[in-house]
Amino acid sequence: MNLYAHSGRRLSTYASKFLLVMKLTIVLLITVFMQASLASHAQKISYSVENTSLVQVFGEIQKQSGYQFLYTDEMMEGTKPVSLTIRNGSIEEVLKKCFARQPLTYTIKNKIIIVQRKAVASAVPSQSKLINGNVTDDKGLALPGVSVTEKGETNSTITDVNGNYKITVKGENSVLVFRYVGFAMQEIPVGSNSTINVSLKEEQRSLEQVVVVAYGSTTKRNSTGALETVNAKELQDIPAAQFTQKLQGKLSGVQINQTTGKPGQGMQVRIRGGASVTAETGPLYIVDGFAIVGDISNINPNEIETITVLKDAASTALYGSRAAFGVVVITTKNAKAGQTNISANAYTGIQSVPQKGRPDMMTGTEWAQFKKEYYEDLGQAVPAAFQNPAQYGEGYDWYNAMLRSANINDYSVSLNTNKEKFSSSVVAGYFKQEGVLLNSAYNRFSLRSNSLFKVTDKLKVGFNVAPTYSWDKSPATDGLFFGSGGLIYNALLTPPILNYQNPDGTLPTTVTTPGVTAFPTPNWVRSIQDIKSGTNAIRLLSNAYVELEPISKLVLKSSINGDLGQSTYTFFQPATASRGFASAPSALGANLSQDNNKYYSWLSENTASYTKQLNDHGFDLLAGFTVQKYRRDFTNVSGYNYPDDRIQTIDAALVKNNPRSDLQEWSMISYLSRLNYNYKGKYLLGASIRRDGSSRFGINNKWGNFPAVSAGWIVSEESFVKDINWLSFLKLRGSYGIVGNNNIGNYRQYANVSSGINVPFGSTTASGSAVTSLGNELLGWEKSKQLDIGLDLGMLQNRINFTYDYYNKKTSNLLYDLFVPRESGFSTFFGNVGEVKFWGHEFAINSNNLVGKFKWNTNFNIAFSDNKVLALSGLSDKLYYGAGSGRTITRVGGRIGQFWGLVQDGVYKDQADFDSSPKSNSSQVGTIKFRDLNGDGVVKYGDEEGDRTIIGNPFPKFVFGLTNNFSYKKFDLSVVATGSYGNDIARMMDQGTANLDGVFNVLKDVQYRWRSPENPGNGKYGKTTASTGDDRDQFHSRYIQDGSFLTIKNITLGYSLPVQKFKAIKSIRLYSSVQQAFVFTNYGGINPEISTDSNGNAPSSLAQGFDFAAYPVPRTFTFGLNVNLK
Amino acid sequence: MKIKIFAIAAIAVLFGACKKDFLELASQTSLSAPVFFKSQSDFQQAINGAYAPLRGLYSGTGGAWAMGEMRSDNTTYKYNPQDRGTIEPEFIKDFTDDANNGVNGNKYVTDYTIIARANQVLEPIDAVEFDATVKNNIKGQAYFLRAFAYFDLVQYYGSVPLHLKPAKNLGETAAPLSSVETIYNQIIADAKQAVALLPDKATQEAGRVTSGSAKTLLGNVYIVLKRWADAEAILKQVTGYSLVADYNNVFNPAQKNNSESIFEVQFKEGTEGFASNFFYTFLVQPISAAEITAITGIPETARTIEGYNIPTPDIIGAYEAGDKRKDASIGFLTAGGLSYPYIKKYAHPHVLTNNTNDNWPVYRYSEVLLFIAEALNEQNKTVDALTYLNMVHAHPRTGLTPLAIATQAGLRDAILNERRVELAFENKRWLDLVRTGKADETMKAYGIRVKANPQAYYFPAGISPSASSYTNIRLLFPIPASEVALNPYF
Repeated sequence: MNLYAHSGRRLSTYASKFLLVMKLTIVLLITVFMQASLASHAQKISYSVENTSLVQVFGEIQKQSGYQFLYTDEMMEGTKPVSLTIRNGSIEEVLKKCFARQPLTYTIKNKIIIVQRKAVASAVPSQSKLINGNVTDDKGLALPGVSVTEKGETNSTITDVNGNYKITVKGENSVLVFRYVGFAMQEIPVGSNSTINVSLKEEQRSLEQVVVVAYGSTTKRNSTGALETVNAKELQDIPAAQFTQKLQGKLSGVQINQTTGKPGQGMQVRIRGGASVTAETGPLYIVDGFAIVGDISNINPNEIETITVLKDAASTALYGSRAAFGVVVITTKNAKAGQTNISANAYTGIQSVPQKGRPDMMTGTEWAQFKKEYYEDLGQAVPAAFQNPAQYGEGYDWYNAMLRSANINDYSVSLNTNKEKFSSSVVAGYFKQEGVLLNSAYNRFSLRSNSLFKVTDKLKVGFNVAPTYSWDKSPATDGLFFGSGGLIYNALLTPPILNYQNPDGTLPTTVTTPGVTAFPTPNWVRSIQDIKSGTNAIRLLSNAYVELEPISKLVLKSSINGDLGQSTYTFFQPATASRGFASAPSALGANLSQDNNKYYSWLSENTASYTKQLNDHGFDLLAGFTVQKYRRDFTNVSGYNYPDDRIQTIDAALVKNNPRSDLQEWSMISYLSRLNYNYKGKYLLGASIRRDGSSRFGINNKWGNFPAVSAGWIVSEESFVKDINWLSFLKLRGSYGIVGNNNIGNYRQYANVSSGINVPFGSTTASGSAVTSLGNELLGWEKSKQLDIGLDLGMLQNRINFTYDYYNKKTSNLLYDLFVPRESGFSTFFGNVGEVKFWGHEFAINSNNLVGKFKWNTNFNIAFSDNKVLALSGLSDKLYYGAGSGRTITRVGGRIGQFWGLVQDGVYKDQADFDSSPKSNSSQVGTIKFRDLNGDGVVKYGDEEGDRTIIGNPFPKFVFGLTNNFSYKKFDLSVVATGSYGNDIARMMDQGTANLDGVFNVLKDVQYRWRSPENPGNGKYGKTTASTGDDRDQFHSRYIQDGSFLTIKNITLGYSLPVQKFKAIKSIRLYSSVQQAFVFTNYGGINPEISTDSNGNAPSSLAQGFDFAAYPVPRTFTFGLNVNLK
Repeated sequence: MKIKIFAIAAIAVLFGACKKDFLELASQTSLSAPVFFKSQSDFQQAINGAYAPLRGLYSGTGGAWAMGEMRSDNTTYKYNPQDRGTIEPEFIKDFTDDANNGVNGNKYVTDYTIIARANQVLEPIDAVEFDATVKNNIKGQAYFLRAFAYFDLVQYYGSVPLHLKPAKNLGETAAPLSSVETIYNQIIADAKQAVALLPDKATQEAGRVTSGSAKTLLGNVYIVLKRWADAEAILKQVTGYSLVADYNNVFNPAQKNNSESIFEVQFKEGTEGFASNFFYTFLVQPISAAEITAITGIPETARTIEGYNIPTPDIIGAYEAGDKRKDASIGFLTAGGLSYPYIKKYAHPHVLTNNTNDNWPVYRYSEVLLFIAEALNEQNKTVDALTYLNMVHAHPRTGLTPLAIATQAGLRDAILNERRVELAFENKRWLDLVRTGKADETMKAYGIRVKANPQAYYFPAGISPSASSYTNIRLLFPIPASEVALNPYF
C-alpha cells in the first residue's frame, strides 16, 4: 500500500511509504486553526478535461485550490478516467463530479481531502470498535498530525494538537498503523484495548530529512551534492559560546580546531583541508539566506535550528564568489506548525585547566641549581641567592597562579506560537563564561524574533531580527613574551623562587629582585587583574522578506538583509601593571588604546523559483539577482603617561598619540540560476551558474562566472537491485564546478598613494605622500575547479548509512600578496599567482547498532586530505613565510606552509667533535650543532644558500570524529570524540622556556644541557656560556613535535523526568556533561589544536601549526536542564 | 494581481538602483596613483615623502651607525648575557654577519625606498605644467636623493640593481645587477643634475637639500673614485658655509641646519612621530631608570636590552690631548653601577623619554674642508692640503695648535685621523677605512686587541667574542638573502 501526498511529486520509494511530505503535515496542522476562515478563502476552480486519469485531476485541483489529497495506490486501482468542464466552480462541485462514477468517496477535513473506498466505507462491520489514545515521541512530547490508519483498510485519522486521536476499526483483529514524518512507523494490534497510547521513535537521519541547500531546500535522498546537516538539538548539551565549537567531530571533512581557550573565541574552521595561500580560509556563513560578513561568534547557538555544511562545488556554486572554502548554512528557529510552546534550557558549570599538558617548568630548587651552575660555568662567583638551592623547594608556580576555576552559565528561553496567519519564534539568551585565566570572561545577551505573516494564501511576509550585546574581558594572555602580550608566557618564564604574593596576601606590582631577576619584572598575577582589556559589541542581524506565489509553484521572493554592528575595544594598562619583561609598571608606561569599529552590510536578494512535474519528469528552476554592500569605519585613539589611574580616558593621558582612522567598503552584484531535473525520481541532474561582480578587482576583471553541474543515480530504485535485501538505499553522485574567492582586502587593485608620510624641515612639518603599493589592473578572481564523486549507501532498512566522497580541487589564480624584491620600493604585489591542488577522501558512517529498549547509535567520520603546489607564477617558485623566528616554505611540487628550518644534530660535545663538524660563525664547543645539508662544509642559516630543509608538516593526514549515543528508558548518554593524525606542531614557546641566557625559568629538561665534555647532557641543549642565540633564534627541528591527538570532547549523561502527571509540562530533562574530558596526545603542550600567530591571533594560512603559548583549553563540568511547557 | 505588479515593480527598482559604478569603490583614506601626480602640490608632497625614509635609514637598532660606525674601530656593543634577543648589530661588529642580518637588510631596503620615491617624482613631472622654479627645485631634490641612495648602496654593497623608473607591475620589480661603474656613472649624472637644478642654501627651505649638498655629494663620490682633481674642483664650489664657533653647538638641536650644516636628516621632538632617539639607542644597557635620569633629568624607564655604538678605548685614545671636541663628543655615565663612555653628540635636553630633537649630520662643512685637504694632498699639493687640514684641526673651537706636516704620507694619516675625531660617530669611519685600504689591517688588529682583553671592550667576565670574529674582514656587505631569493636575475 502506498500512501501519497499529491504534492506534485510521486514518492514511491520504500521509505516514502511511511512518510507524508512535511509540507502536507504542516498544512494539516495549520488548518486545524484555520477552519473558521476557510470559506472566505475557498478558491473558485475552472477546469476542463477529457478522459484524464483521476490522479492527474487531483493534481490540477490541488494546484488550483491548494487542497491536498490523501490516498493510497490500492485505492486508485479500477478508477475511471474523468471528463468534466467546470467554470468558476466550488471545490465541492468539482469533487462531486470527479467522484461521481468512482468506487470512491471522500471527506474534507480542513483542507485535506481524504479519499476512501466506497465498499469499505459503506460496510462498517457491526462489531466495529472505537479506539482512542494519545501519540507521543519517545520523550513523552505529544505529537500532533500523526496519521493513524487501520491496516489493510482505508479508514484513517490524524492526531490533534495534543496528540489525541479517535478511530473506528473493524474489531479485535485489527491492526493500527501510526505514521509520522521523521519517525519510524509503528503497527499495534488492537486486541481488547479501547485505549492505545503510542510512543513513536525518531528515525535516525531519515533520507527524507529536509536539507537546506543554496537558495532552497531538498531532501537528503534527492541531493546530488556533498553536504551534511547537523540538527542543533544534537549540540545543545555542549557547553560552548559558539556553535562552531559544538560542531567539533560531527562533520566529515570539516576540521574544527579550538586554537586558543579564550572564552568565546579561537575557533578555526577548515572545510576540506581548507588550506590556501590566501589570508582567509574560513567558510562563508549564511544565516537565514544572508551571507554575513565576519564574526559569527556572537550568534547564540540556541537560536539555531540546523547547520548545513556545503562542501562540493555543486552545492556551493550558487554562492560562487565566496564559496572556495565551503559554505555553512545556518537556519534559525521558526515556530513549528501547530505548536505553541515555551521551552527553557539552562546549564551551569565549572571550568578548570587539567594538570596534564601544562608546561613542565623547573621548581624553585631546580631553578636555583640551574642558576648556580650558570655562574659556575662562567667562572663567576655564585650570588648569594643561588648558593643554597635546596632552600626553595617547590617554589612558586606562576602559571598556576594565573589560573582559576571559573563558572560557565547559559540560559535560554524560547517561545513559539503559530496562529492562523501569524507564526513567531522568540529566543532570548544569556551566556556568561568566566575564563580560567584571571580577569577573562565572555558574556552575551541575545534575542531573536522570527515572525511570519500569511497575508493571503499566496503572500507571505517575514521579519527576523536578532540583536545581541556581547562584552568580554580579554587580557593580553596569548603570544610571545616580548612584544605586547603574552602574560601566560611571561608567568611561565618568571623565576620560581619569587613569590607573587606579599605575606599579607596582597599582590605587589613588581617582583624585581636584584641578583635574581635580570629585568624589571612586573608581577603578572597583578598585571592580569589590573589591566582592562575588552570589547563591547552590539550587533543587529535582520531580514525582511516577501514571498509571493502568483501561480501555483512559482514562488517569487524578495528579501532585504541587514547586519549592523558597532564595537569598542578598550585597553588600559594602569601604573600598577605591565605586559612585558623589562618594562616596569609606571605612570609613564600607563597607556590607553581604544578602537572603535562600526560597520554595516546589506544584501538585497530577489529570486524566482518554479517547480514542475510532467509525468515522470520533475523540474525545479531558480533564478535570482542579488546586491550586497559593506562598509566599515574604524578609529583609534591612544595615549600614555597617566599620572592617576582613576581617570582612564584619553583626556587624562599626558601624551596623546595621533588618532588614526580607516574606512573600508566593498560591493557585489550577482546573478544566479539553477535547474534541477529528475526522471522517475531516480536519475537526478542539476546545473547552476552564478555570475558575480566584485569591487575588489581590476576594472577588466570584476566579473566571474561560477558554473556547476551534478548528477545522481539512485541505484536502489532499479529493479536489478530491488532483490538485494540488505540494501535499502544506494545513490551514486558526482559533481563538477567552479567556485571563487575574493577574500582579500579592499582597494588592492589600485596603486595607492598614502598621505601622511610627513617630514619635518627644521621646525615646520611638511605633508608628504608616496605611492605605497603596486597596483594591479589585472587582479581577478581566484577560482577553484572541484570534482566530487560520492556515494550514499543505506543498509538493513537504513539502520546503517554510509557516505563516501572523493574530491579533487584545483585552485588557480591564487590571490596572494606576493613578496617582491624590495629594490622596487615595494614589498608586495597582490596578484593571481599560481595553482594548488587539494584532494581527499571522506567517509562517514552512521549506524543504529541497537534499536530495542537499549539504543546505541554510532556516528563515525574520517577525512583524509592533502595538497600539492603545482605552480607559483611570479618571480619565484617558492614562498617563504616567517612567523616569529619560525618559518615556512611553500614551493612548487611540495605542500603548502611546510616548516622550514635547520636540523639539529646534537651539540658539539667536545673539541674533537667541534673540529670535525661543520660550524656556523658563532659555533663553539658545547653549542647546538646543526646538520650541514648542502654539504658546503659550513652551517648557514639562510633560505637560499643555507642548510634549511622541510622539518615538519602542520597539516594532518586525516582528521576524524566519533559520536556514540546510548539511551535506555529515560536515560541517555553521548560521547563525542575528535582527533587528528600526522600533523606537526612547532612549539615556538620553547624559545623562551628553553632559553639558555639564564634569565628565565626553563623546562625541567634543560637541566640536561651541555656543561662540559664530561657532562654533555642529553644532546638537546647547548651551554649557557656562549652564543645562545643559535639555539633560540634559528628555527630548528627541536621545536617540531608530533601534533596528533584524540580528544574526548564531550560526555553527556541525561535523564528525562516522568512528568505525565503534570498538565503544563511536556518534558523535563536533566543532564550532566564533561567537555574536553580527556586529551590523548604526545604533544608536549596543553592544546594540540593550537595554531596562532606570535600575538595569539589567528595565523596566516601559510603559518599554521605554531604554538606561541596560548590560553589553555579548560575541562568543563556542567549540569543542565531542558524544560518544555505546553 | 496588484501584488504581482508591485513585486515586479519593486524588483525593477532594485535592478535599476544599481548604477554602473556600484562596483567602482576607491579608497576614501588614500588616493590612487592615476589621480595623483597632477599638480604642483602633488609633486611637492611626493618629494617630501621621498625624504621620509631617511629617518629610518639613520635611526633605530638597524640604523646607519651599525654599518658605518660600529663596524669600525670607533664603537662597539656592550655584551649583555642576560638578553640575547636583539643581537644582530653584534654580528655586524664582529664580522660574523651574513646575508640574513636585519641591519644589513634595513639599509638596502630603505635606500631603495628612497630611490623608488624619487623615481615616482621624476618620471611624470615633466608632463605636468607648473611653475618652472618650483619644478626644478623638486627635480633637483629628487636627483639628489636618488644619487645619495645609490651612493650609499654602491659603497656598502658594490654591484646592485639599477632602477630609474618606478615599478608598475610584477616584472618591473626586479632588475639585474649593474656594474659598479654603471652605478657610479648614474650617481654622477644625477648629482650633476642636482647641482644644476637646486637652489643654494640661502634660498632653499631649511632642512632640504641644496646645490651645496649636491656639490658635496658629488665631491664625496669623486673622492671615493680617487678623481682628486674633479673632487677639488667641485668641493671648492661649496660656498656660503662656515664652521660653528663652538663644536658643541654643531649638534645642538636649538641650532639645527646651522651655518656649518650642508645636509642633515631632519628629526623633530614631539608626538608627531618624527622624534629621534639616538641617545637611547646608544646607551649602555642594562641601565636603571635612575641612571638614565642622572643624564637626562626627566622620568625614565629602565633599559635592559643591549648597548650599541659605545665608544671604544681606541677612539677615546685617538683624540689629541687638549682637543675640546673629545668632551663634546664622548661622555661618561653609570650603568649598573659601573662607568661607561657614551656618545654625547646626540645627548641634549628633551621632554619625553625616547623622544629627542637631535638631527643626524650627514654632511658638514668641516668634512668639505677635509675632503679638499685630502684631494689636494693626493695631488701632491701638500702645502695647500695642510692649510685646509688646519682650518679644521686648529679652528679655535678645538683648542689645538696648527699641525706642521710636510710629507704626503704623513699628511694622509693626519687627515684620516682628523676625519676620525672631527666626524666621530657620524658614520664616516668604516667607509674611510675601506676607501683608504686600511680596513683589513685595522680591524684585524682591533680584533686581536678585543680577544686579548674582552673586558676592556665591555664584555663580562667569562665571555669573549666567537672564534671566527675579526678573521674575515669583508669590505662589502652581502645583498640581503631575502632579495636574492626573490630576484630572478641573481
